[in-house]
Amino acid sequence: MAVPVQYYLVLSAAVFCIGLFGILTRRNALMFLMSVELMLNAANINFVAFSFQHGNLTGQVFSLFTMALAAAEVAVGIGIILVLYRNFADVDVTKATTLRW
Amino acid sequence: MAAESGVFTFAPAIAVLPFVSFLVALFAGKYMPKKGAVAGIAATAGSLLLSLVMLAQVASGHAHHMELYTWVGGEGVPFELTFGILLDQLSTLMLVIVSTIAFLVHVFSLGYMNDEGETGLPRYYAELGLFSASMLAFVFSDNVLMAFMFFELVGLCSYLLIGFWFRRPGPASAAKKAFLVTRFGDYFFLIGVVGIFATFGTGTFGGPGVEESFPELAEAAIAGGASVNTFFGLSPRAWFGVLGLLVLGGVMGKSAQFPFHTWLPDAMEGPTPVSALIHAATMVAAGVYLVARMYGFYALLPTVLAVIAFVGGFTALFAATMGVVKDEIKQVLAYSTISQYGYIMLALGGGGYVAGVFHLTTHAVFKALLFLGAGSVIIAMHHNENMWDMGGLKDRMPVTYYAFLSGSLALAGIVPFSGFWSKDEVLYETLVHGLGGSPLLLAAYAMGLLAVFFTGFYTFRMVLLTFHGEPRTDLAEDPEPVRWNVKIPLAILGVLAAVIGVINLVPVHALESSVPEFLHDWLYHGPEGLNGEHYHELITSPEFAGYSAGAIPGLGELGTLFASAGLSLAVALAGSAVALALYRAPAPEEHTAKLGSLKTLLYENYYQDEYQVWLAQDLTEETVAKNAKRFDDGVVDGFVDRVSDVSLVSGHFLRRVQTGIVSNYAALITLGLVVLLVAFGIVGGWFGGVFA
Repeated sequence: MAVPVQYYLVLSAAVFCIGLFGILTRRNALMFLMSVELMLNAANINFVAFSFQHGNLTGQVFSLFTMALAAAEVAVGIGIILVLYRNFADVDVTKATTLRW
Repeated sequence: MAAESGVFTFAPAIAVLPFVSFLVALFAGKYMPKKGAVAGIAATAGSLLLSLVMLAQVASGHAHHMELYTWVGGEGVPFELTFGILLDQLSTLMLVIVSTIAFLVHVFSLGYMNDEGETGLPRYYAELGLFSASMLAFVFSDNVLMAFMFFELVGLCSYLLIGFWFRRPGPASAAKKAFLVTRFGDYFFLIGVVGIFATFGTGTFGGPGVEESFPELAEAAIAGGASVNTFFGLSPRAWFGVLGLLVLGGVMGKSAQFPFHTWLPDAMEGPTPVSALIHAATMVAAGVYLVARMYGFYALLPTVLAVIAFVGGFTALFAATMGVVKDEIKQVLAYSTISQYGYIMLALGGGGYVAGVFHLTTHAVFKALLFLGAGSVIIAMHHNENMWDMGGLKDRMPVTYYAFLSGSLALAGIVPFSGFWSKDEVLYETLVHGLGGSPLLLAAYAMGLLAVFFTGFYTFRMVLLTFHGEPRTDLAEDPEPVRWNVKIPLAILGVLAAVIGVINLVPVHALESSVPEFLHDWLYHGPEGLNGEHYHELITSPEFAGYSAGAIPGLGELGTLFASAGLSLAVALAGSAVALALYRAPAPEEHTAKLGSLKTLLYENYYQDEYQVWLAQDLTEETVAKNAKRFDDGVVDGFVDRVSDVSLVSGHFLRRVQTGIVSNYAALITLGLVVLLVAFGIVGGWFGGVFA
């Protein structure tokens, strides 16, 4: 009947790893942001899966909060990327290295 | 208590009024018609009036003590620190002296400062007001800590007023010197104050209604009736001697006693009314006043008394010899001031409490008079102070001349002017106590007596050069006239200087006992523990100072009194006569060349400044301070610098971890997470038997 919880976990782990791979390899800031979103959503999948497994709604409510948080994060993130572009005429994260010693 | 307080509730106003005038002159002085002078005159007149009321009240038998404010105290605190007012015979007398002189000097300043078109007058009157306030508060202080605070405040005002013309290098440097030298003495005073509190748990001088005062506690401790904390394993008597000497440091700095006298002649760079008020009549008197205030303490300590007497006698002679060759009128007066304060110290150290206070009183009057007279001459001479440019001013400024002459006769100690009576009593008291078995006092007496000769000489040299003979310059030919505001203070002080001796005509009293010794009776009727009678008992008690009165063999007490008076008068007349013989001519010559190499020595003030500069500069700065700096730079700073070098260098290498590339950071975070997970896994046994 229902899909066993292990499948959800595998899916979630896969999505998370894709996101992690994106963060580690991509240089475009937009791709960076998308990768972060993937990782967040992997967490969401876990929440919903366990919520389903345990039969209460707490996990689903949490995932709603996470989505709201992700929306806010994107708003800030895009703002930063915009400024990045204005300052460096590029959105390559490896170029913006002046904010250090 | 409540019944007799009445008028005493106004006592704080004595000091508050001049303080208000300070604020008024400071903030509103430039909008006022006389630039703040009016406020100062009104305030000091008010203080004078109130002081006279207090004097009358005390005379009617009500010495008064009140506590105004406790600023440290309460349960579990070992001692209380308070502000309070002690109005007894001594302090009210001094209040009247100080407020009188302050009032007259304010009036005189109208002539010396306003009429001469000086700038910065609001500042001048503000500082004068602050000085008057702090001096008056010092006088009525009821404990040694409050006295110390106001002692420092008058020192500050002295510094500000000496440096009134601070744009010229002379006054600025003189102000700094006065500040540093007196501060050096005050440093010891401060330690003494702390010592007094640590020893007795109280710093109050005593007075009606005071339970514990440190002089009484000290007396009881020496007599064996009380225990106090002494330090360094010293006996109470020895430890009190140390305390007495420490406080004496402040006294000697302020009263310009050898070897701290060097600041006073330089202080003459200040405006002349300031010299009259601060550096002649009042602030320098603060030192000896403090000794008189604590006399119940000093009278217990024969060693300290001997030091006081000897320093006083030596200073009296030493300063008088330097005054002999000076060319500037204010310089002569400055050395004379040092010398006269030496006499007061001599009297106090020699067991003559009344004599000391008497000479303090008469000296305040005649020396203020002489300084104001000199100020009048300086106005007339357009600020030329060299006596060799004067001469013949007698006929051109008669009021100044006669007032100045009255002051000079008092200073020289010629009968019947006030200085004769007081100086004679100083010498007499020292002589009889010396004859009573103290060779040290006799030596101090001999120096004091010899100083009388030089006093007579330099005084009349000054008078003759300034006022007599033919005018030696065009300025002296046609001096600038002075106005009422100069003449009135001079006239008042001139009369006072002549007659104030009547307050204590000791030799006359001895002959005709219906003539009262007002000051003697006045000071002997002070509150318990603070009166002359008590001090006399302490001085003569073998348990304490152990002085005894002797007499010249074969003359008896009365004979000694007149022999002493006659001797000091004869010596004074001899000194004056020599001056008259040398400088009476219409065109007097300088005779200093005949002194040979002594002349240079005297002109250079025995090289006192030089050795003090050597102490301060070559020894302290060049040797001690330089080496201390080397140690500080090399060892203390060196250690700190090495530590910071280590962290700087290691930081320089470690910072390369921070690349600024976001991807690297993300990789490091991921790596960290993985390492953490693996570690947890190993510890938690997730991997089964693989690592077990």
